[in-house]
Parts: sequence; C-alpha cells; structure tokens
Amino acid sequence: MKHLLTCLLTALLPWVATAEPARPYVNDKKAPENRKDLDAIQQALTEVLASARNATVCIELGEGSGSGVIVSEDGLVLTAAHVASGVNKDLTVVLEDGRKLKAVSLGVVADKDAAMIRIIDKEKFPFVEIERHDTTRLGDWVFALGHSGGFDKERGSVVRLGRLVRTAENTIQSDCTLIGGDSGGPLFNLQGQLIGIHSRVGVWMGIDMHVPINVFLQNWDGLLKAEFIGEGPFVKKPEKGKGFLGLASEARKEGGLAVTKVGKDTPAEKADFRDGDVLLKLNGTELTTREQFQDLLKEMAEGDPLNFDVLRAGQPLTIKLKLGAR
Amino acid sequence: MHAKLLLPTLVLVLAAPARADQSLETAFRTTGPTVLAAFEAQRLVIQKSSAIIYDGRSEAICGVVISPDGFILTKASELKTIKKLAVTVDEKKYPEAKTVAIDEQWDVALLKIDASDLTPVTFAPTSAVPQGTWVVANGTTTRTHRRVLAGIISAKIREIPTAGGGALGIKLKPEAKDLEIDELQDKSGAKEAGLQKGDVIVAIDDKPVAKLEDLAAVLKDRKAGTTAKITYRRGEEEKTADVRLMARSEMSDEMNRNDAMSGAFSERRSGFPRILQHDILGAKSIVGGPLLDLEGRCIGMNIARANRAESFAIPVEDLKAIASRMLKN
Repeated sequence: MKHLLTCLLTALLPWVATAEPARPYVNDKKAPENRKDLDAIQQALTEVLASARNATVCIELGEGSGSGVIVSEDGLVLTAAHVASGVNKDLTVVLEDGRKLKAVSLGVVADKDAAMIRIIDKEKFPFVEIERHDTTRLGDWVFALGHSGGFDKERGSVVRLGRLVRTAENTIQSDCTLIGGDSGGPLFNLQGQLIGIHSRVGVWMGIDMHVPINVFLQNWDGLLKAEFIGEGPFVKKPEKGKGFLGLASEARKEGGLAVTKVGKDTPAEKADFRDGDVLLKLNGTELTTREQFQDLLKEMAEGDPLNFDVLRAGQPLTIKLKLGAR
Repeated sequence: MHAKLLLPTLVLVLAAPARADQSLETAFRTTGPTVLAAFEAQRLVIQKSSAIIYDGRSEAICGVVISPDGFILTKASELKTIKKLAVTVDEKKYPEAKTVAIDEQWDVALLKIDASDLTPVTFAPTSAVPQGTWVVANGTTTRTHRRVLAGIISAKIREIPTAGGGALGIKLKPEAKDLEIDELQDKSGAKEAGLQKGDVIVAIDDKPVAKLEDLAAVLKDRKAGTTAKITYRRGEEEKTADVRLMARSEMSDEMNRNDAMSGAFSERRSGFPRILQHDILGAKSIVGGPLLDLEGRCIGMNIARANRAESFAIPVEDLKAIASRMLKN
C-alpha cells in the first residue's frame, strides 16, 4: 500500500510542476548567446510586467516616499522596514493609477529591513505571487519595479532588468539599478514571482541590494501580528516611557480623571479630546489617580494603541488613538 | 515639483561575507563582456553609425550619423561646452566639424563633417514598443572600436517638463536705480556668456528693460535651455551676449541625495517635449548617440542621463522631424 502511494505521488509530480510557471531556459545559460536567448528574456519579462506593475505601490509617510508590493487580494503589502518606519504607523498607499488609500504598518524585521503593511480600505486588490520554493539561483534574470524618486503618474513605476549577482542568507544583490524612492519595491524573477524587496544601494554603481523573500516567509506570523522583530539598524524600536499624549487631567471624587487641558497640535487634540471629558478606562484598566495613569503610559511606547472609555456630558464614548512622540 | 524628501536608501558598503556567499563573476553581469557579446549585431551598427565626439583627446559625447555625406545629430548643450572639437566615425577621425543648426527646445545640434561614404542609421518605424523591450546604446570606446551597453525600455513615453523656469543666474545690486549685476552664479549661463559684476542690463531680446519687474516679465515664461539675447552696458560700451537660461536647480551646487548617488549626470535633463525612458546605466558621455532596438534600427537618440536609474532618449518620430527641419534650413 505504501509503495502504491509513492507511485501515485511520483505520477502526480509532473502535473504539480506544471502548475508553477516555467522557469525560462535562458536562466540556466551562463549568458545569453544569441538573438533567440535575448528574445526569450524579453518575452518572459513583457508577459508578466503588467500584472507585476499593477501590484506595485508607492508608500507615503510624512514627507517621505518609498515603494511596496501587494501580495494578497485583501491588501497585504510587503515593503522595507526603513519605509514602514515602525509598527502601527499610519501610511498612504498610492496605486499605479494614482488612487490614494489609507494603510497601517504591521510588523517589521528591524535587523533585516523587512516590513508588512495592510491597506485599510476594503476591496479586491491586484496582487503578485510569492516565490515559495527557493528556485531562484545566482545569475537568474530578474527585474525591479519601484517609484524611483517618488510617485509620478505620467511616468508610472520604473522597470529595470538585471541579473542576480550575489546571494546570501539575508541579502541578495542584483544589477538592477535602484535609487531613492525605490526602497521597499519588488524584485521579481522572469515568471513574475516576488523574490525580494529593495533595501539599499552600495557606494559603487551596480550594487543594489534586496531583502530575500525568505526573510518575509520566515517571519510571516510575527509580521502579521504587528510584532517588532529584531533590533535595528533599519528601524529603531520606540522606547518605553517616551510616548506623548498631550493632555492634563485630575482625579475626580466620583472616579475617573477629568481632562483639564488639551495641548495644541498634540495626539490628544487630533483624537478630539475636549476639556471636561472624563477618562474612565485606558485599555480596559480603570483610571483612579494621575500617578496611576502616568505609570500606565510609562509602560508604553510611541505607536502603541490607546483605547479610552470616556464620559462626555454624561454620555459614554470610546476614543482610540496611538501614543505619539514628543 | 514636490519638495518631498525621499526615503533614503541607506548607503552601505558590503561587509566581508560571513558565510559562503555566492557571487556572479563580473563578465556575466548585465554590463559584463560575456553578456554584451550577445549584442554583436547591434554593436556593428554602433560601430558604423554612431559618432564619437571628442574635446581634444577625451571623449565628450556621441552622435547619430544620419547621412552618407556626414550629417550627425548630437546633444546641443554638451556640444557647446567642447573647446577642441573632433569627430570619429567607425575607425576614421575627422578633425573638422561644423555646427550647422541647433534646436534649443529639444537640445539637439546638427553637425557636418567632410565625409562621403558613411553608413547612416536606419530609423525604426515607431518608438511605441512595449516596456521591457531590449535597447542598445554606446558603451565605452577606443579610438577604433566601439563597445555597447544594453538595457530595456523602462517607463511610459512622456514629456519631461522643465525643472523650474529659465533663469540668468545673476543677483542684481540692491537699491541700484538700474539693472546692475552684483553677483553671478558660478555655473550660470550669464557667467558662461562673459557677463561680469557691474554690467548693467538694458534690454532682453531687444526689449528695453529698466527695472526688476520688466526683467521678471520678460523671463517669466522662458524655458530653461533656451537662449536670451542680453544687451548690457559695461562702462561706456554697449554689448550683447547670448545667455543660456538654466533651471535654478541646474545652477545649484547643492545636490540632493539621489543625485549624490548617481555619478555624472547630464546638466540639461529636463524640458523635453517627449522622451523614451530606458535603464542603460551608461556614462554621461553616451548622450547624443543612437538608441537601437534588437533589429539594429535607431529607435531614438540618447538625450540625458537623468540619474543612476533613469536615462532619456528622444523618440524616433520626433528625432526624424527635428532632423528634417534642421536639414531644410
């Protein structure tokens, strides 16, 4: 019986293999030798380019901009940690057609420059397949997409062709030329599968580095759970006790804390706290004294979610915000 | 132009490999000789139909040979900076070359050398090819042998608006009653044209100007890359000079991060009505040369190396129109 099963599996293998897009033969040549080989590269690239580009996005955060790529229909985006710049950050994703969507950063792998973000708007997004079977080899022809220098609707994202020129566990290097604004953008094999995310460039031309997709796959659950994985250098972990809310309060005899002042241009003001609001609970914990409230905040860091139960003119409401930085 | 900060791609030098990294030999990289050997058919076209334009003994820019009797197209703004012009086509050197015409808008110049049996490029029927299509351009060169570089069409055909309007690059003396020059920027067209501190501007393109508002009104809609005829007074003398208007960003020495990582780029890299974009990472000196498709046909002329990731070429349709306009005059 066991023998039979093996036979069956063997018989199935070729069929399973055809489900994966075929690896172009030209990748197994040391170099293209003739017109036919060049045409094979061009044909593979032009066939997958449109769908790869549809899933490539620009990511805007404050005054900066980077790139990313959508990897699921419901809007998960992979990018570089130095683009996401932390967990729970509010970001804007710009699609190829110029549409701007709200997004929030999930987890980061701080020492390997990997990050995941989620588009908040609900719709079916174009997305790319991830290369999951470790079929990428040194010398393979690859292409990079990204919003070089920032989003430009007239231009679109910029495609560059190159070869994989160096591979290591946590970094792959291609000769697709990257520049500022490309950070976080996708690197594809000629089958249109995602194999890496643009990270950084060398001081010489022709040195362009990417985070291999395996780093994302190995940390997938933590990224989904918005975990801060690893320590720097690509993004710094916010320190506990350095968060900033921006309101003054005092304890009430009947319980809770009454807001006495909301600072200008503070996270509290942006979340629409008002003088006289009564803070009953923070993340489920009843608030009793100013000191206890401050102790709770001291255990948190910038970007941590705050969920307040509030009483305003006798009416209960909840206010959600993220702890800011001073 | 957004004054947006681009998220920096961190510039790091590769650390020594800690594990058994794999590295592709240089010859097999995209710019390596083994890969480029596959483009020998296109290289032969570059050998015969591209021109190398020298300033003295150093290669300055390239050109496109468009007629057997020696008409050559090249990049005008770079040509103007050449002091000792000489041209090489294939293996032959032509010490005499004349500038016949200049199209300021497209930054194209028409050169004429004394030749009779050159092989002109064959123009491709259209520049509307899919992105991802191979293109080939001049690479490095020896006196007799041209090499090539290859890349792909990498973005949409489009206009590259002028980065800022054209400016003279001068500061006027404050509180002066006339338009007296107080300072000239080092890289400005005004300095290039020989204007000096103390000169008083009296007319632009023969329109009298007396105060700052007049000057601003005349220059308001002028594009960078165009030329303005400046009439000025120096002492008792009245003189004129053709001053190249430049974008403020072009005159500034403050490079942004992306420029800093881009090596040498073209000084004029904006203000083109239509361009084809490709990813060939050539030297700044490949501008002016032909951009070929795999059939060896000229699909455009390289007009600017914008930065390390973006190179621009004038599409073949526009190039043909520019050439025939200039040949007619």
